[in-house]
Amino acid sequence: MRTFSYLLRESWINMWTNRTTTLVAILTTTFTLACVGVFLLLYVNLRAAAGWLQDDIKIMVYLDERLGSDSVAGVEQHLRGDRAVASLLFISKEQALGEFKAQFPSESHLLDGLGQNPLPASFVVALSQAFRSPDAVKRWAERVRQVPGVAKVDYNQDWIDALATVVRSIELVAIGIGVILSAAAVTIIANTIRLTLFTRRDEIAILRLIGATTSFIRIPYLLEGAVLGALGSALSLVMLKVMYELFRQQMRTTGRFAGLENLMAFFPPSVCLALVAVGMGLGFAGSFVSIRRFGEAKA
Amino acid sequence: MIQLTHVSKQYDQRPALQDVTFEIGKGEFVLLMGPSGAGKSTLLRMLIGAERPDHGEIVVHQKNVTMLKPSDVPYLRRKVGTVFQDFRLLPKKSVFDNVALPLLVQGVSSVDIRRKVTEALRAVGVEHKRDQLPAGLSTGEQQRVCIARAIVNGPVVLLADEPTGNLDPSLTSEIIELFKLINARGTTVVVATHDPLVMAQVNRRVLTLSQGRLLPEQRVME
Repeated sequence: MRTFSYLLRESWINMWTNRTTTLVAILTTTFTLACVGVFLLLYVNLRAAAGWLQDDIKIMVYLDERLGSDSVAGVEQHLRGDRAVASLLFISKEQALGEFKAQFPSESHLLDGLGQNPLPASFVVALSQAFRSPDAVKRWAERVRQVPGVAKVDYNQDWIDALATVVRSIELVAIGIGVILSAAAVTIIANTIRLTLFTRRDEIAILRLIGATTSFIRIPYLLEGAVLGALGSALSLVMLKVMYELFRQQMRTTGRFAGLENLMAFFPPSVCLALVAVGMGLGFAGSFVSIRRFGEAKA
Repeated sequence: MIQLTHVSKQYDQRPALQDVTFEIGKGEFVLLMGPSGAGKSTLLRMLIGAERPDHGEIVVHQKNVTMLKPSDVPYLRRKVGTVFQDFRLLPKKSVFDNVALPLLVQGVSSVDIRRKVTEALRAVGVEHKRDQLPAGLSTGEQQRVCIARAIVNGPVVLLADEPTGNLDPSLTSEIIELFKLINARGTTVVVATHDPLVMAQVNRRVLTLSQGRLLPEQRVME
């Protein structure tokens, strides 16, 4: 117990003795991890947005003009039996015409001139969660096109594809920037610890001479690195939260994006804790890199 | 307690020790004499595993130091106390904390640390300075604290490298008396020095090194 409190005290003394370096290391780590956090937050929100938009995607299954009511019932039965279909809504030719007139009252005279209703009957299909990926939607649409009585299957493939591409790109950028900036954080902390090791090299030599094990010597520096990383990470989250709230406030006051701010979300507490743990791990790694070079027991 | 068999070591083609063989028994008090650069410090560093010989074998307290893994070196050093000419005390720690350090690294309980440190400080006569920082002590007192740190965990061997190098003749006598006292309690003591005053005060076995070679032994009579 006394040994543990000694190691903790030594970590604190290290940080306090080199407090300017420690502060600079924490702040640099904070800004570095905040940059990673911005991309992570963007990614999380875009992914959520992509999820909502995909939930909202409806697929139109247009029926053949000449289809009798029995055949319509046959197509409906086929669709209802499909495990990919979450919900189904039939829109008759008359309902389609009514909706068109309601949505485009100024254009309704165009249809009047044709004499007969040109709009086909259709089913509006929502797919279940497991079948909403761009590939799954495409496969399903191709399959349903082959069903007798189905004239056309329509959905906004481009929109789904574009959204998936954006999310994937952000994901790649977030990973790339995350890796580069995490390496930067490790380097910053490694240099801070190296400086501490240098200023305390005489003390380390004495500890070795009196029989301190390598781990006894290393633990205070590993703790210091972990604390620097955890503090940097926690502060970066505070910084991000402040920026996030300011951004939401800005959106609320700007009429154009009003309402969108309610769709945005910050990291849940579990993710925040995980990010602090990641920061701690990076600090630990940085410290480990430095002390490894200090070698084994030598006087 | 200490055995060296045909030990040689060289740095950049320059021989530091050449074919050195000797044995020191349990409870002996041995002076390691020789001018600066004779190889005394190299030899002491080898005894605590800080240097490895190029040839030969070193055994300390039944441990073959030449074959010791780096991770086992600390455990050897817990059995061998070391005293230095420049004291090597931690300047920001009190006398008590400096002396407590060897016990702390071994995970000794607080109660035992307090008891053993008090005993060691009393043995070297600086118990009243326990709360002071090393900078507030005289050179003689600093050397006493260094000795207290070396003996606090009851080592089987005490090695001292030029322990009186920074001390005046009267303090030298006091420190030598202290070593004799420690030796009288059963600890094997090896003192490396080039100071004839030390040799004159110690009526014990003398090993003399010259240019890395061990000269024939002599015994100084009081």
